[in-house]
Amino acid sequence: MISTVEKKYNEDSTFNYEVNYQDGTIWTVPHNEANRHYQEILEWVAEGNTITDNGSGE
Amino acid sequence: MAITTLPTRAFTQQGINFRNLIINGDMSIAQRSTSTSSYGSVAYSTVDRFKTVFEVGTYTVSQESLSSGEAYNNGFRKAFKALVTSTASPPSAGSQTTFEQRIEGQNLQIFKKGTTNAEPFTLSFWVKSSKTGSNLQVNLRDSDNTRQVGGTYNISTADTWEKKIINFPADTTGAFNNDNGTSLTIEWWLDGGSNYSGGAVPTAWEASSNADRNVTNFDLAGGTDSWHITGVQLEVGTSASDFEFLPVDINKNRCDRYYKNFDENSFRLYTTSLDGNTSDRLGGTLGFTTEMRTSPSVTKTVSNSQSVESQQLSPSGYSIFTSVSNRGGTTHIDEMKFDAEL
Repeated sequence: MISTVEKKYNEDSTFNYEVNYQDGTIWTVPHNEANRHYQEILEWVAEGNTITDNGSGE
Repeated sequence: MAITTLPTRAFTQQGINFRNLIINGDMSIAQRSTSTSSYGSVAYSTVDRFKTVFEVGTYTVSQESLSSGEAYNNGFRKAFKALVTSTASPPSAGSQTTFEQRIEGQNLQIFKKGTTNAEPFTLSFWVKSSKTGSNLQVNLRDSDNTRQVGGTYNISTADTWEKKIINFPADTTGAFNNDNGTSLTIEWWLDGGSNYSGGAVPTAWEASSNADRNVTNFDLAGGTDSWHITGVQLEVGTSASDFEFLPVDINKNRCDRYYKNFDENSFRLYTTSLDGNTSDRLGGTLGFTTEMRTSPSVTKTVSNSQSVESQQLSPSGYSIFTSVSNRGGTTHIDEMKFDAEL
């Protein structure tokens, strides 16, 4: 079960997601529809949750 | 002794190697863990490639070492074991406990599903339980076309390994996608809520119907009952050939396409300066020896308070760029696990 998701920008403006799970594990997840963790993020958002996006810092 | 007879169908239909569409069917690879207690979740928990969708009660799931019994006598040294520690009776309507493997569509084209030349499926496996049971259900679920077919097996004698063979018919409707996504899921049912019963076992392919997926519940009891499985093989045709044992390196490489645990070998990725010895900008790159199914997720630990600035995840490798204010010690990335499972 996902607790939080934060968008993390790379230096080239691509990004990954940092996903905190309720069991304490933290996964870095690519923006990739074939990735099962990314699919979980989409389901989590569809349930009404929000991805934290603090921008790229540039 | 010279070989005088060759299995013609095996050569013409599938080739003698890699006729088993199941990966890690002998349960010999367990990169995540060899045992997890108090388990009641939907995850990949122990043996590679098999997903444990255990929503009813709690279990101890493990990779079991075999030292006797008919499965052992047939070459199997490992099995998956689910020991029931508690049950929910009755289970909530929409919950299920299933043991599953998901298969990429591009590995299933040999079944020619959705064509007039569609081939039947044969599933074989060794199973054992502390409890006898009848009409226990195994389903093939086609997620590309939302179709399913089912079969059943019995456990005739408690605590005794038995080999089961289930034949599933060909399906001339709905081709598998030729890609790296899940096209087929094989699911063994251990427990399920009322949403999954009330229908009939679909012995012919049909549009997916939850009511047909677990028609007879196994009703394993908490604290006493267990279910074990190994030697899983799915192949084309109507007969089950002997289990295809693979060399350990081949089997491991096939699992690595979906999950890699570098931690088990105490592997360490050092991050080194990108622009001079005094730089606070560090980087490290890791090329995978086996290309992964898709760009994986990663979990890791980072030493010496490095700040992760950038990460690139691709099927062929991983690179990381960090910064650090004080390089008083070596800088590295440990306990890396990459996941590209279905």
